[in-house]
Formats: sequence, C-alpha cells, structure tokens
Amino acid sequence: MKLTVDGLLVYFPYDYIYPEQYAYMLELKRALDAKGHGLLEMPSGTGKTISLLSLIVAYLIQNPHHIRKLIYCSRTVPEIEKVMEELKNLIKYYEKNLGEKPNITGVVLSSRKNLCIHPEVSREREGKLVDGKCHSLTASFIREQHDGDSSVPICQFYEGFNREGRESMLPYGVYTIDDLKQYGADRNWCPYFLSRFAIIHAEIVVYSYHYLLDPKIAEVVSKELQKEAVVVFDEAHNIDNVCVDSLSVRLTRRTVDRSAQALQQLEKTVAKIREEDAARLTAEYEQMVEGLREVAAARETDTILGNPILPDEVLNEVVPGNIRNAEHFLGFLKRFIEYLKTRMRVQHVVQESPAGFLKELSARVCIERKPLRFCAARLGWLVRTLRVAEPSALAPLTLVAHLATLLASYTKGFVLILEPYDDRAPTVSNPVLHFSCMDSSIAMRPVFARFQSVIITSGTLSPLDMYPKILDFNPVIVSSFTMTLARPCLLPMIVSKGSDQVAISSKYESREDVAVIRNYGQLLVEISACVPDGVVCFFTSYLYLESVVGAWYDQGVVASLQRHKLLFIETQDSAETSFALINYIKACESGRGAVLLSVARGKVSEGVDFDHHLGRAVLMFGIPYVFTQSRILKARLEYLRDQYQIRENDFLTFDAMRHAAQCVGRALRGKTDYGIMIFADKRFSRADKRTRLPRWIQEHLRDSLCNLSTEEAVQICKRWLRQMAQPFTREDQLGVSLLTLQQLQSQEQQEKIEKQVIQK
Amino acid sequence: MLENRDTVAVSHKYADIKTQKISPAGKPKVQLQVVLHDGTCSTFHFVNPAGAEAQAKDRDQVKSLLQNLLPKFKRQIDGELEMKSRLLSLHPTLKHLYEDLVISKVISSEEYWNTPTLKHYTDSSNIKQEAGVSGAFLADIQPQTDGCNGLKYNLTQDIIDAIFKTYPAVRKKHIDYVPNKMTEAEFWTKFFQSHYFHRDRIASSSSKDLFGECAKLDDQAIASAMKHTTLDLTVDLPQFIEPVPLLPTEDEAPHDKERGDSTSIHRNMIKRFNQHSIMVLKASHKTNSSSSNSGNSSIKTTNNNNKVLENGVKEINGVVEKRPAEEKSSTEPVEKKKRILEKIHYEDLEDKSGNEDAQELKLSKVERYLLGPSSQVCQTINTTNPPPLSALASICQAWSSGQQCARPFRVSAGAAVGALGELSPGGALMRHQHAASMAQLIPADVKGELHRLYLSCGELLRELWRCFPQPGTADGDEAAARADRFYEALLRFRNVKLRPFEEKMLRDLTPLATTLTKHMNQMIDTACAKYAVWQQRRAKLR
Repeated sequence: MKLTVDGLLVYFPYDYIYPEQYAYMLELKRALDAKGHGLLEMPSGTGKTISLLSLIVAYLIQNPHHIRKLIYCSRTVPEIEKVMEELKNLIKYYEKNLGEKPNITGVVLSSRKNLCIHPEVSREREGKLVDGKCHSLTASFIREQHDGDSSVPICQFYEGFNREGRESMLPYGVYTIDDLKQYGADRNWCPYFLSRFAIIHAEIVVYSYHYLLDPKIAEVVSKELQKEAVVVFDEAHNIDNVCVDSLSVRLTRRTVDRSAQALQQLEKTVAKIREEDAARLTAEYEQMVEGLREVAAARETDTILGNPILPDEVLNEVVPGNIRNAEHFLGFLKRFIEYLKTRMRVQHVVQESPAGFLKELSARVCIERKPLRFCAARLGWLVRTLRVAEPSALAPLTLVAHLATLLASYTKGFVLILEPYDDRAPTVSNPVLHFSCMDSSIAMRPVFARFQSVIITSGTLSPLDMYPKILDFNPVIVSSFTMTLARPCLLPMIVSKGSDQVAISSKYESREDVAVIRNYGQLLVEISACVPDGVVCFFTSYLYLESVVGAWYDQGVVASLQRHKLLFIETQDSAETSFALINYIKACESGRGAVLLSVARGKVSEGVDFDHHLGRAVLMFGIPYVFTQSRILKARLEYLRDQYQIRENDFLTFDAMRHAAQCVGRALRGKTDYGIMIFADKRFSRADKRTRLPRWIQEHLRDSLCNLSTEEAVQICKRWLRQMAQPFTREDQLGVSLLTLQQLQSQEQQEKIEKQVIQK
Repeated sequence: MLENRDTVAVSHKYADIKTQKISPAGKPKVQLQVVLHDGTCSTFHFVNPAGAEAQAKDRDQVKSLLQNLLPKFKRQIDGELEMKSRLLSLHPTLKHLYEDLVISKVISSEEYWNTPTLKHYTDSSNIKQEAGVSGAFLADIQPQTDGCNGLKYNLTQDIIDAIFKTYPAVRKKHIDYVPNKMTEAEFWTKFFQSHYFHRDRIASSSSKDLFGECAKLDDQAIASAMKHTTLDLTVDLPQFIEPVPLLPTEDEAPHDKERGDSTSIHRNMIKRFNQHSIMVLKASHKTNSSSSNSGNSSIKTTNNNNKVLENGVKEINGVVEKRPAEEKSSTEPVEKKKRILEKIHYEDLEDKSGNEDAQELKLSKVERYLLGPSSQVCQTINTTNPPPLSALASICQAWSSGQQCARPFRVSAGAAVGALGELSPGGALMRHQHAASMAQLIPADVKGELHRLYLSCGELLRELWRCFPQPGTADGDEAAARADRFYEALLRFRNVKLRPFEEKMLRDLTPLATTLTKHMNQMIDTACAKYAVWQQRRAKLR
C-alpha cells in the first residue's frame, strides 16, 4: 500500500499494516526531520525492520539533499541476511509500482570469510585464516613481486576487481551476500573488495555493529562514509556491551609469551633486511620524519586492522624520534613486554588506573606516554615495511601494541585489573591482565557526533531512560510501542512457588536447595506435559544448568521429561549446540515435541528465534544477573555510580531484566504466533523487577498472574492454550491489530495511534 | 431336555455358528458342539446303536458337512465381525463400553456399532503407521530389587526393539556376541551394568566394558552427521558473530578440558542426553524415510556453498562465461536461507485469500490423539471427571466434516471454548471443586469404575441429545423413535448400572458416595426433563 506518513509518501510492500508500524514510522520521521537521534522500542515480530526500511527509503528518495545514506547495523549474520531480504522485497515493490527500479543501491558488507570466492582461500573455515591467506595474496608488495616474477601467486579476483571494478558503480539494486558472490564470480571480481568499495557510494549499507563501533575496523572500513546519513542500530539492547568490548583488551600469560616470540621473529627480519636492503628501512625512517603517515596507508589491501583508538584521539603528529628507527621501536616494545611480564608475576589482585600504570611504567622502564600512543600505528607501519606475508603470526604482538596505545590514550573511563588466578581455582596460577573500558559512551560518542541521525531500536529497551544515560546522548525521540492484539497471544506469568508452596528462586542462598531444584523440575515436567511442540528453558548460568541437570537426573525428573518430549541441552561447544538445535527443530516439526535447556546470555538466547511451534512456552528459571563477583563489573558499576549517578542495583537489575525479556521474547515473533512466558522466580513479582519489563509484556502481566504456584500456572496454561488453538482469521484482526489503508486514514484511527505512543 | 417329549428339535442358523468342536477320539461319548457367536453353545450327542464306530462315522459326516457349509455363511459377516472383535480387543475403552451397554442389554449391539464414536475407529483403523521410539524407553526400564541385594530389570521385546533401533551399535554388539560368546541374559546384564545405561558414570577406558566401544561409535556417528548437515543460517551459531580479524581469540578450550572433575560428569551427561534425543529422533525418522526423501537430501548436499562456485570459477579463469552450475548454486543458498525467508514473511499482512489445502490428519489411534499419550502411561492425572471421550470425538467429527455444511449456528467456537475453560479446574465455575483432594480420596478401582460409567453414560446421553430435533427443522418420526429407544436405554442404564454402583458406594465410601454420582444424575435428569418437555410438545402438536 501507499500511505502518507506526516506528508511523506511511503511505499509499504504489504496490503495491510499494523497500527504500531504506522506509529513507529511517525516517530521515526520526526527524528529524521529534527536531524536528531532516537530511541525506539517496539515488540519483536511487529515488523520493525520493514517499517524502518520503508520509511527511510522513502525519505531518501524524496529528500535526497537531506539524507544521503542509510547505514543499518545489526548484530548477527542471520539478522543481516534478514534485513537484506526485506530490503529486496521493498525494492521489488517499488519496481512493480513505478515500473522501473528506484535509483537506490543496497549493499551488504561482511567478513572475507563470508564473501570470499577464491577457490582455495574460501575453503578455510576459520575467519582468521581466510583473512591471513587473503592478505598473503593481495598485499601490495606481493603484487609488486608478482609483476617481476609471475610464479608468485596472487588472487585473480582481486586483480580483476582492481583492473575493472573501480571504474563503474554497482547497478541499482539490492545485493545480498550471495548476490555479491554471484556478481563477483560472473565478472571475476572479488566480492569483498567490491563491497568495500561499493559501500562508499551505496545509498543503503547493511553491516555488523563492529564495522562502525570498533575503531580498529571502522578506521579501515567506514572512514569515508558521508555525514548526512541515518545510522540504525537494530537489536540494540546490548549495544553498550559491544561498545565496551571493542575498546577492551584481555591479555593472558600465554599471549604475552607469544608476543615476545613474535617480537624476536620481527627482530630477526629487521636484521636481515638491514643487511640486504637497508634502503627500505631508511626510506621508512625518512617518511616518518616528514610525517607522511598516510601515503601508504591508502592501500586498502595492506591494512587489516586500524588504530584501536577513536579518530578524535589519534594524534596528527610526527612519530616521536625514539621509535622512528625500526630497531629502536622493537627495543621499545621489548621493554614494554618485559614490564608486562614482571607485572603478571604478582600474587594478589591489582587494580589501578591507567594513569597510575603509566607513572609506574615511566619510573621503572622509562617509557614515556607519547611514544606509547603511537605503538599500534608504528607496528602496522613496520609490518608493511617488512612485508610480512602472514600478519596473523603477529597477532599477539598486535594485541600488546593495541594495549599500549589504548593505555596511553585514555586515562578516564578505563581500568586495569591484574588477576593472578581464576577465582574458581585459586591454586592454579593463571595471570590475566584486563584493560577494560567502563564507559560505553566513549566508543559511541564519535558515531553520534559524526552522523546526522542515529536510531537505536530493539524489542526490549526498557527502561528507556537508561540508554541515553549510559550511552551519553540526547535523543529527540524516545518512544515505546505496544503490540495491538486481537487476542491475548502472549501469556506472561510469574511462578513464585511450587506445588508444595516452597518459594522458588535462583538467589544465591537457595539455588542449590533440593526443594527448589525439584520444584523447577516439576514445573518443567508439567508444562511439557500440557504444552504442545517446543518448550525452551533458560537458566541463569551454564554452571547452574549443569548442576541442575545432574540433580534432575538423580531425582528422575529427566526420565519423566523424556516421557513427554525429547530433551536437548545447550553446551559450551557452539558447533555441538548448533547440531542439537537443528535436531530440536526437527523434533518440533515432526510433532514429537522437544524441550531445550539453554542459558541466558548464551549464544542461543542472543540470536536464535523460537517462533510459532518452536517455542510455545519459554521458562526463565531465575533472574539472570551477571556474575556479580567479577572485578571488571564491580569497577564498571562504581564508575557508573560516580560518573552517571546510576545506582549499582539499578544497573544490575536493568541488565538482568533486559536479558530476561530478551529470553522470553524469543518465543513471540508475530501476531499470529502465540506463546507462554513463565518467569520462575519469586523475586520477579517485586515491583522493581516487574516494572522493568518491556511495556508490551507488562501490559499482559496482570496482578492475578504474578504470584502463582505450579499447578495454578498449569491450569491457566491449559485454558489459554485451548483458546489459542481456535482458528484465528484476518477478520478477527482487522480494525484492531491490522488495518487497511482506508481504516488507517480514518480520523478515529489516527487519533488512536497518536494516543498510543507513549513518550518518556 | 424338555420333559414329556421324546424328541427335541434344536435349530440354529448357519450364520449364527461361530465354530464347531468335537470330542476327542477315545472318549466314551461321541459328541459335537457348535459354538454360536453370542457365546451360547449346543452339544449334540450321537447315539447310533451300531456302536461307537458308527457314532463316530455319523459325527464325522455332520462335521464335514458343517465344515463345508459354514465358511459360505461365515463370509457374509466374518469381515465385519472380525473387525469388530479386533477393535474391541485393541481398545479397552470400547470394550468397556460394549460390556456396559450391550452385554448388560442397555442397548442392542446394532445400535452400539452405529454410534459415531465407533465409526471413527472403524474408518481410521485401516492405515498402518510405524510407531516411533519413546524418548524415555531407557528410563522406563525400572529396576526392581529382588530382595537379596540384586536388581531385576524387566525387558520386553518392545524395549529391546527400541534399544536396537536407537542404538545400532548395541545391535551390532548383540549380533556379534549372542549367542556365540554369551547368552542373551548375560548380554543384557552387561548392558545394564555399563556406563552406557547409567549416564552419570564416566566411561571407563578398560577393555572389559563391552559397551565402551559403542559410546565411541556413537560419538563418531554424531560427529560425522554434524559435519554433513547443512546448518540453516538461523541456527549456525559459530557463524553468528563476525570476529575481529587477526586478533587472537582467547583459547579457552584446552583450559576447560583440564578441569575434569565433577563438572565433567555433568558435561558428559548433557552430551549423552543430546545424543540420546538425536538418536531417538533419527530412529523414528528412519522408518518413513523411504516415503519422504526431503530429510535425506539435505544431508547429502555438502554444506560448503563455496564449493559450487569453485567449480564454476575454475572453468572461466579470466573469460566471462555463463556457468552451468548456476541453478545448482542458487538452490543451496535457498535451502540455507529458507528459514530466514519464512521469518520475514508476515502472513497476516499479505492479502492472500483462499486457504491453502491443509494436510489431512490420519490417525491410527484416535483415543491417543484425543486424550493425549498420557492415557497410555499408568500415571493418569485425570481428575474424577475426565472429558467424555465421545463428546470430544463428536467435536472432532464436527470439525472434520467441515463447518461449512448447513449446520444451524448455535454457539461460536470462541464462546464454546470460553465456556469449556470456565468449566475446567481453575475456571470461574469450578472454584469450589477440590479436584485434587477428590482424586486422592477415591481408591483406584472405584475411580476406574466411575470412569467407565461416565463413558457409557456420556455415550447414551449424547445419542439421546442428538435425537432431539434441531431448532428450525421438522422432527421426523424416525428420530422420535430413536429418541424413545435411547430414553429407555438411559433409564435402563440408570437402573442396571448406576443404582447398583451408588448402593455399593453407600456401603463402602459413605462420605463421598452421593457427591460422586451427583453430576451424572444431574445430567441424566436434565436429559430426561428435556425429553419430557419434548414429548409434551409433540403430543400437543398432534
């Protein structure tokens, strides 16, 4: 249908529309008009992606001077593929209605591993190896060597692209990963570099968070994207963790040792080159003196990783004199590594600020802050000069150099923690050095500053006021949308006690209690006896899952569970879990039904949807708090309290509840879907937990559903399932949760939608 | 023998005779017995004065005559009858119904077989379906202590079949060892002792354990299956997150394996649970794999989607050419992406009228479908009033026959379900019923009896209600006659079955006695009242 959203003609590729989709577009348009940032929460399965795409594409076409580009960031590869397919649909719809393709190019960018079509390189299954091999075929010096000696192998696809690909732009259209590969294979062009080149000009770019948030990658990939762009972070409920992770470094003893080995290797190479081709090192030195850092960096194939710090921190200065010379620099690094080694010999936990560390460093081994800041850049520079074909061998050293640069660049918002052993095994020496970012706004700030509009959206962003605080930005639009429903297709319940009235809770004191574990088991058995097809359970941690399964086996819960359904369990091996998952799906599809035991914050909870029959019921056993004894977390909590006035408990609860909501939200992926959500912990019924659930879940969590025993919950389930099993037709939905164009345009409906949006 | 007469005539129709029996040779009396279908029998004593030999000759003549004649008559009813008796023996509920209603002469056999519930069974029972394997078959082998420090396991052929089906490695072992190297019993004793059966035990590496190898074989089978399965994009966890290139990912794996204490038992157990489920699933898929190849085809195609491209690429080598592998390569991503495409499809947003043809549901065991598999397992959690089978069956029938047919509209589906909900435990109308406590108070045998009574009563009631004319339709005489019959039957049922039960309850279970049958009496009273009103109205009309 073609609808007008606040004066903008939007092509929407469906015949009907949900009211909340319209409301979402309205809000989104306001944010774009104001050239500001937005925070939008809309339940999963209400067609968030297509609403976003339709509105922004319409905006792009009609206001080209206002917005030039859409950068759509998502979290996982399947999500990205999903967005591309939706975009394809939309463009097809435009084509059908206009009779020609709109002047829009949409490109996806993924890692080399997903895009490579080189017959040998692409056979590697690991991303790291693909990157390394690719580099060894495409680096500029290799190609130079090939010019002289044709027996040196190079990549024909890159050559093909380099020869012809840059002259023309991609024809208008949408290119998914497979399309790019096909396009590349047809023309003998490398799809990866084609895509890297294409995103500069394409109107729509879809890629993963890291390409924009992680400065190491962003510098290489996203540097040239225009300012007049809308950036969308979809599934952004975890965005603060992505930000933090992208600026943190974790060093183990092993990594440090291996970096020392790599350093020795480099020293040998330098010595060799000094004998054979001293001119090359001299030239490098000369360039550095003149500050011509950028000249060679322009070579796209040579840099795989950029500077780990944010662009505004990068010094536009000449490299300091004491590390200009290759040997001097390596000596400098050696001293740094030795210092790290001595520090890692400590017997007790050390926590200190970067400033303190730097002071100590300069006192002990005379390393100044300024040259330290250039470490990462200088190392990259040296690697290029030395023409190292396999940069992956230097990975540990690169990590150390990154640590050096980060340490010297940031003094605020970071903490350095040295743990001599793992808390679970205090006798085994296993020193780990954490250099951890505590402030998620640091990585986010340049994105907010650089791009015109940044939209953060997800199904679960409640409480909405937390994100502007921890990401430190001022949104012009903050809204949460609920799901309009023609029937109550979700049934959230809080089960607080078992049939024997013993309170169930995963709090530390009682989680190993036999009665609690038995009651959890009984709840699951009874639910699996009355719920058809798939049932998914989430535990608070993997260790807890293991011990509960062990106890269940002894108590015979597993046996009675197997009487009703097949049992699958997430393991720490993700390949194994994948296989279990695919069998879980098979079991659900064949009608046998299955139970999946999984872990909150695990891989399954983060990326796999259990829509329709794959998840008729989700059980959350306990509140998924983070491991609160972690020192990094403690430091972060302290920082948040001091800098942003966020109380520790507030943050912990917020974090636990967003994960709980994420887990249970996996069951519901649309209005024709239905699912039971059981929160099995007494503490969920407290106001501070309940009110932090997303609004669309809270709405259905009536008081009568908040303090149930197992048998009451089962009774309610049975009744509700019977209701849901009735045929559900479009006529039931029309006018309530589904609108035709006419209905949408009616005055009454417009007012209703206006009212529905709750602004905070 | 009737008195005052010398001769007596006994005549049976051929069709009524089920079998004939003769007395064994050498017995002083030479007799022939015919057994009728209704269970009665007549014995003929041969009294030829010429002696035993002549008597036997006479008898043999009769016998051979009957032998020739009986099958001819038999054929007419045989098929039907046999099916009926098979049905009764297969379905205990039907047998109960039959005993209660027909044998106690509440309704005639013919009426019984014409009830729609039974038609359901007779129609669907001719499809044969292979049963899968229960997920809990290993757990269901409950060990019993034999009193002197030993355990006794009961194995049935079904369980053995299930074990073989699920664990081919065990079958192989069985073939290898039994009966050459050990007896059947020894084999299974070893099996129950092995860690293979006890999943919380760590596999011992000693060669003594017969099944240590099996576990390894299973691991290999799963590993190779893992390698050869195309993972759908949506479940391919290792590929979800794009890693930061070059940086070393922390190698936790070796570190974890070192910690081999209590956690690794659990870890191992979890792995075994997953394997068990996967193998059970595979075992049940195997049986129908011949009919549907879709499951296999996905396994056969290798997952490396680059491979296909590689073939195409090699030949072009610089020259742009249309690749023949194109269609092949396009199908593979489609398979991988199928789920994603399904996910972005919003069925309610799209305007696609015309319902797609739904697949027909074919059931071999209707009651399992209606009551759920739990009815087979001994632990029935049914409360005192399980849903009458017939009521559900008639609902199902209404659905299957399609609601489009000109049925007068009475109650919408939603309202009906709502009402049902309120009437089940926990609903607004069932607040005061303490189902759980009732269930605990009543002994199992009484419960069973009550269950049967409900079943029979429900059947009769339903038939009676069906006879009442629907509003708007003229009532035929036929229906009236039927109603009369069932009304009578209902009264008979009350007298023959319900009353004795109530009396017995009064004797045995005094505090509960009246409440137990209150509901049933209510239902019967309501039906009778309706019948009376209806009769009155009919009388007036005349």
